[in-house]
Amino acid sequence: MIHAVDGVSFEIRDGETLGLVGETGCGKSVTARSFIRLVPTPPGVYAGGQVLFWSSDARREGRGPIDLLTIPKDEMLDIRGDRIAMIFQDPGKALNPALSIRNQIAEVFYQHRSEEILHSLGPWAPRLIRRAARQESSGFERFLLTLPPFRSRAEKLREKVDQLVGHALSEVQIANPRKIMESYPHELSGGMKQRVLIAQALACNPDLLIADEPTTALDVTIQARILELIAELQERLETSVLYISHDLSLVKEICDRVAVMYAGRIVETGTTDEVFSNPKHPYTRGLMAAVPSAAHRRGELASIVGNVPELLDPEPSCRFNTRCPYAVEICRTVDPRTIPVGESQSVACFAYESDDTDVVLPRLEAWVS
Amino acid sequence: MGVVTSLRAANKEREPLTAARSVISLRGVEKYFPVKEGTLQRVVGHVRAVDGVSFDVRPGETVGLVGESGCGKTTLGRCISGLTQVTGGRIYFRLSDADAARLDVIEAIAASERTRDQVRELKRIEENHRIDQLEGKAWKTYRRNCQVVFQDSFSSLNPRQLVKDIVGRPLRVWNEASGEELTERVVSLLESVGLRRQHMYRYPHQFSGGQRQRVSIARALALDPEFIVLDEPTSALDVSVQAQILNLLYDLQRERGLTYLFISHDLGVVRLMSDRIAVMYLGKVAEQGTATELFEDPRHPYTEALLAANPDIKAKESGMKGLHGHVPDPASPPEGCRFHTRCPVVTPVCGWEVDDAVAWLQDHEALAEGLAAVERRTNFDATLVFHTEEAAASAVEAFHKGDVPPVMRSALEEMSTDGRKVSIKFSPVPPVELEDIGGGRLTACILHTSRGLRI
Ligand SMILES: Nc1ncnc2c1ncn2[C@@H]1O[C@H](COP(=O)(O)OP(=O)(O)O)[C@@H](O)[C@H]1O
Ligand code: SF4
Ligand code: SF4
Ligand SMILES: [Mg+2]
Repeated sequence: MIHAVDGVSFEIRDGETLGLVGETGCGKSVTARSFIRLVPTPPGVYAGGQVLFWSSDARREGRGPIDLLTIPKDEMLDIRGDRIAMIFQDPGKALNPALSIRNQIAEVFYQHRSEEILHSLGPWAPRLIRRAARQESSGFERFLLTLPPFRSRAEKLREKVDQLVGHALSEVQIANPRKIMESYPHELSGGMKQRVLIAQALACNPDLLIADEPTTALDVTIQARILELIAELQERLETSVLYISHDLSLVKEICDRVAVMYAGRIVETGTTDEVFSNPKHPYTRGLMAAVPSAAHRRGELASIVGNVPELLDPEPSCRFNTRCPYAVEICRTVDPRTIPVGESQSVACFAYESDDTDVVLPRLEAWVS
Repeated sequence: MGVVTSLRAANKEREPLTAARSVISLRGVEKYFPVKEGTLQRVVGHVRAVDGVSFDVRPGETVGLVGESGCGKTTLGRCISGLTQVTGGRIYFRLSDADAARLDVIEAIAASERTRDQVRELKRIEENHRIDQLEGKAWKTYRRNCQVVFQDSFSSLNPRQLVKDIVGRPLRVWNEASGEELTERVVSLLESVGLRRQHMYRYPHQFSGGQRQRVSIARALALDPEFIVLDEPTSALDVSVQAQILNLLYDLQRERGLTYLFISHDLGVVRLMSDRIAVMYLGKVAEQGTATELFEDPRHPYTEALLAANPDIKAKESGMKGLHGHVPDPASPPEGCRFHTRCPVVTPVCGWEVDDAVAWLQDHEALAEGLAAVERRTNFDATLVFHTEEAAASAVEAFHKGDVPPVMRSALEEMSTDGRKVSIKFSPVPPVELEDIGGGRLTACILHTSRGLRI
């Protein structure tokens, strides 16, 4: 059995951006998807653990947090797309090629805001319209909606939804949203598609946005615009963001705190300032030194030897021991625990255990950046 | 590393790195792809993937090619390595400086007015150096000496072949080695890229991305080439592995005296690996210079924009700035400066055209709905037909005092209304070409070139 994510724990605070960084296959996306139960079971199994989610509604109403891993499925469906939204790396794949942009975004409103929409249409609505607003209409009902007694109401409903969709699109600075609404995904550029996805994700003003490499497929000048946009919306809507990326420079720019993941485990966390100015874990140090910068001489880039290990039933150990230049006996046989170091920082490495044991602990020599 | 290295060493003795010649010389290279439409697949236009690119690659140096996706980097790399035919311009292999000068002289003369000697001279140069005219031995020399490594090692390596066959294939095809000797050559190639003998009998899918890229590099080295096109060689890799591959490429270059064209969209990587860099935008080179100059003192707004948008892990100040504006369609790029639709410091004489006015109208819901048709006479001159006179009037109003960007308004030369029709005319602007601005630097921005001084 592959332990993709193992004993991961971190928290995302109100309104902050937490960066989850690590290399391909370290379990970043699985972590995020497990949050909202997007990992299909089977084959996946959620082996223990909790994902506690305290929504803004719950707080307002004095309720406590809920565990996303144990709530019933339909409750999860209500939360997903509404309180917690997600955007993915490949905007092309996340959009349905057969639906117009209008219908893609309208779906979110039909799913999570149908009562509000109906309310705005007046106090009383026939069953037919109620069903239409929840997208439950049968083919025959859709036909009825084109007939006189219902047509004007159906048009009003459509107009209301169009208004919401138009607003969602203008929120992501799409000029002339009406034009974009009528287009299909293949007619849009990558940057535009990502905007549509962000519009869709933020349509219901979620408490948490999970952004999984949302700009990796985009050019830097477009990426910068999308990130400005996310930051601006986040500030205004007070959304918390879990930003998943392999790009350390990017995470340093946009995140308040950072969690570094290696082979299914979090090895270091802390504020971005602290972690980037004083990385503690040998893996974090290695990663940072490997990013090319003006300070490097050609051919002298620091690199981490070897490759990410397979995660088949790993023995207790520090997962980085096969590539770590400081590894000693204990690293190969015992799981390191997470130790607080510095103000906000904590790290899972034996080198930071206190010295008063009989065991030989690793010693990190002075490390030059 | 044995046999191969000593071969290269012998080569180098024959010809020092400072040889007065280029490895690859591009002159006005163009590659247009037809755009087809409808059931009859009629050609309705051309994507100008590469549109008049000229530069030299000298022995032993690394020239970086950087720019956003779709700007034509891969296409140019494929033209240079002979994987695709150019549709215009010429590519020369190992052109001596003397021959280059002769070419300049001859080509400046109209074909009909060349002397017999000049015609013969031109023929000699082309038969020996112009890659689409090479034959026999000259062609073989070029093929062997010009290799490619692609970004995607997964699709560029045959999944059903053993590594031994993949790396050994060039040697077999060129009758370089067989049997025992072939095996030993493969082993030595694998060792030179940090792999080992036991890796020979594995399939590509049994390797990690980094190791597969090592296999691709070993294959490219098999014929001991002089020049390698590296097309995004590390873009699919994680940083820790990328660092290994970049170090390896540099070590190989030093050991074997290799020349590289290093293609990447990653500014940090290109800066580290290149001696000189060409920045591409929409099929053209926007700026060219040494790596240090280009990064520390960019002379083109597009280069500046790339740097401003690029997150830098070492930067003290944070802040990534993106670009606004429309990205033009590569099948109908702007006639003036190609970057003017997104340039933050655009001037009225940078090449404003009808498309800009239409794009602006289309960004404004009320105005866009009023627009019925565009009757285009040239890129700079058209009649906009509106559905109603009111719609025409409000568009004119918007152009005169509304929120049309002031630079666009001052570029507008004429505007007249006739009922539902509004004629607009911008002053025609010639293409902004790459120009030498001294100190070995070239840029295609009027703010830095002689054309700018005249304004
Ligand atoms: N075989 C092809 N047929 C048609 N268009 C192509 C083909 N290859 C590339 N193009 C177009 O040429 C332009 C340049 O592409 P490319 O060279 O791949 O850019 P880059 O490598 O810089 O991302 C793009 O607009 C692309 O769509
Ligand atoms: S616990 Fe040991 S192997 Fe793991 S990072 Fe620390 S020193 Fe290296
Ligand atoms: S010529 Fe220079 S200033 Fe004008 S649009 Fe082009 S890059 Fe910008
Ligand atoms: Mg490419």
